[in-house]
Amino acid sequence: MRNKNDGRAKKLNRGGFQKRTFITSWLFAVPALILMYLFIWRPTVMGFVWSLFKMKGYSPTYFIGIKNYVEVMKDTQFIPLFINTLEYVFWSLVVGFLPPVLLAVVVNEMVHFKQKIMTLLYLPAIIPAIAVSLLWKQMYDPTEIGLLNMILVKFGMSPYQWLNDAHFTILWIVVSMTWKSFPGTMLLYYSALQGVNQELYEAATIDGAGILKRAWYVTRPQIMGVLILNFVRQIIGVFQVMEQPLAMTGGGPDGASASLGYQLYKYGFVTQRVGHAMALGTIIFVVLIFMTIFYFKLNRKLEESL
Amino acid sequence: MSKFQDKTTGLLTNVDLKSARGKILYWILFAILIACCLITFLPAVWTVFTALKDPNEIYTSTKFFPEHLSWHIFVTRVADSWNQLKFGRSIINTFYYSAVAWALKLGVCTFAGYAFSKLKPKGSTMVFILILWTMMMPSQMRTVPNYISYLSFPFASRTEFGIGINLLNTYWPLWLGGAVDAFAIMLFKNAFDAVSNSIVEAATIDGAGKLQIFFKIMVPLSVPIIIYESIMTLSGAWSNFFGPYLIIQDTTKQLLPAKIFMMGNDGTVKQNTYLMGLIIAAMPQLIIFAFFKRYIMGGINIGGVKG
Repeated sequence: MRNKNDGRAKKLNRGGFQKRTFITSWLFAVPALILMYLFIWRPTVMGFVWSLFKMKGYSPTYFIGIKNYVEVMKDTQFIPLFINTLEYVFWSLVVGFLPPVLLAVVVNEMVHFKQKIMTLLYLPAIIPAIAVSLLWKQMYDPTEIGLLNMILVKFGMSPYQWLNDAHFTILWIVVSMTWKSFPGTMLLYYSALQGVNQELYEAATIDGAGILKRAWYVTRPQIMGVLILNFVRQIIGVFQVMEQPLAMTGGGPDGASASLGYQLYKYGFVTQRVGHAMALGTIIFVVLIFMTIFYFKLNRKLEESL
Repeated sequence: MSKFQDKTTGLLTNVDLKSARGKILYWILFAILIACCLITFLPAVWTVFTALKDPNEIYTSTKFFPEHLSWHIFVTRVADSWNQLKFGRSIINTFYYSAVAWALKLGVCTFAGYAFSKLKPKGSTMVFILILWTMMMPSQMRTVPNYISYLSFPFASRTEFGIGINLLNTYWPLWLGGAVDAFAIMLFKNAFDAVSNSIVEAATIDGAGKLQIFFKIMVPLSVPIIIYESIMTLSGAWSNFFGPYLIIQDTTKQLLPAKIFMMGNDGTVKQNTYLMGLIIAAMPQLIIFAFFKRYIMGGINIGGVKG
């Protein structure tokens, strides 16, 4: 009798203890979860919900269905802005995708001043992004006081318009963005290269593979995962470009460098078309979610093939 | 040449480097790297030299180097720029903002990492997967809804009823919104996962509570990753432009990145002063980098493997 009671008391006590452990354990995660709800999950859902409402200032008034979307898409600027945004992505892949990979591979092979070179190359990553944009705006100055025109003039050429050349404004902005971001990406690839199986190089060399063949058949497959990840991350990041046109060109000349993200900023905070801003935000979100799904599909395929 | 002989691993090995072709290739690649270093460094050097030029000199001379340079001119230029730009207030603000942002983010994210790594209450694995998913969510969509919610926090749309707190012109939206970061939580979870369970069990048997285990075991054993994340958080806060630009309109509360953006739009600021402003803005991060280079270069390895 006595023993039985003892056992029950122990069990009860244990249950209470477990419950307390359960609650106190969750308490550690609660601040993060509350903040995540307030600043990430809720605004993402509400951005979609409110995009279906007529907004008065920053308050939703009544449901209007997809009217905001229709108005955003019908805007004569929408197609050019979409094309501009794709142009940002295109140039960023042309200018910014391969150089960090190649640099990482080359730095990895160096036996002279390896650490010093890495440190020198890392410099742009340390400067605040907004300062980089403003610095490059000065370097692109269309008169001879800008660094790039200074160099052109030194070599006997005439000063060039840089950011004022509507055909290539986006390219020049992308060049400045790449200058800022490539060291970080390079480090990422560099650390991926540390994991490459060195024996495979030996085996390939014995089989008579040249340097390029080794790079293609040994190095490439082993860093493919990071390559694809960065490829997709870069597209997703650049698709949302906004600060750079805001700081460097104000979307100009004549809208040539305005992106969807920049338009969202203008809808939301300059022209006070808040409903349109959220509809545009949802459109960008959907496009990027498709990109992300595409990435996971691609990644799975890659994992299967390995 | 012994350096070449020691190189037994990698794409180019000592076998390749014995031949003349291999050596030429190596030095060509080396030259390319030096050229790249020049590309990263030339703008910085130009910035410093132009910032030190005389105001009359910048628009008349197209020389790379300033015509006169001495310690006296250096001090005068820095002082003149400082007086014109009036960055003092915003620098103090940015220090204050970054310090609190750092404390909050580290607190929130290490606690969460601990819960998901070692405590693992029922259901936490599912929630952690959900957190990983939020990393994938494009952030731009949240800009406007977040702004709306700041107007009457935390009730969001009910601005018309007048309940909730208006967080505009305070640092709270930046602090709270920046405090939670799925990537940091994942980083800390991985770091804490690496701590052996037997140490934790031994401590539990000795009667240590969860908080004690956290502060006495988890944190001391994860110092490198905590330093890495601290540097990233501090430099992220230091260069945070867009959020503060939207939220802080009061000029006495302005943060430095927004301030230098304003400087960019101010036509009265001459080029040399403007560039001096950029140097001042970049200074703290350069100093942090100089001291913690090892952690930055090493820490990204840790993050990169997961990335």
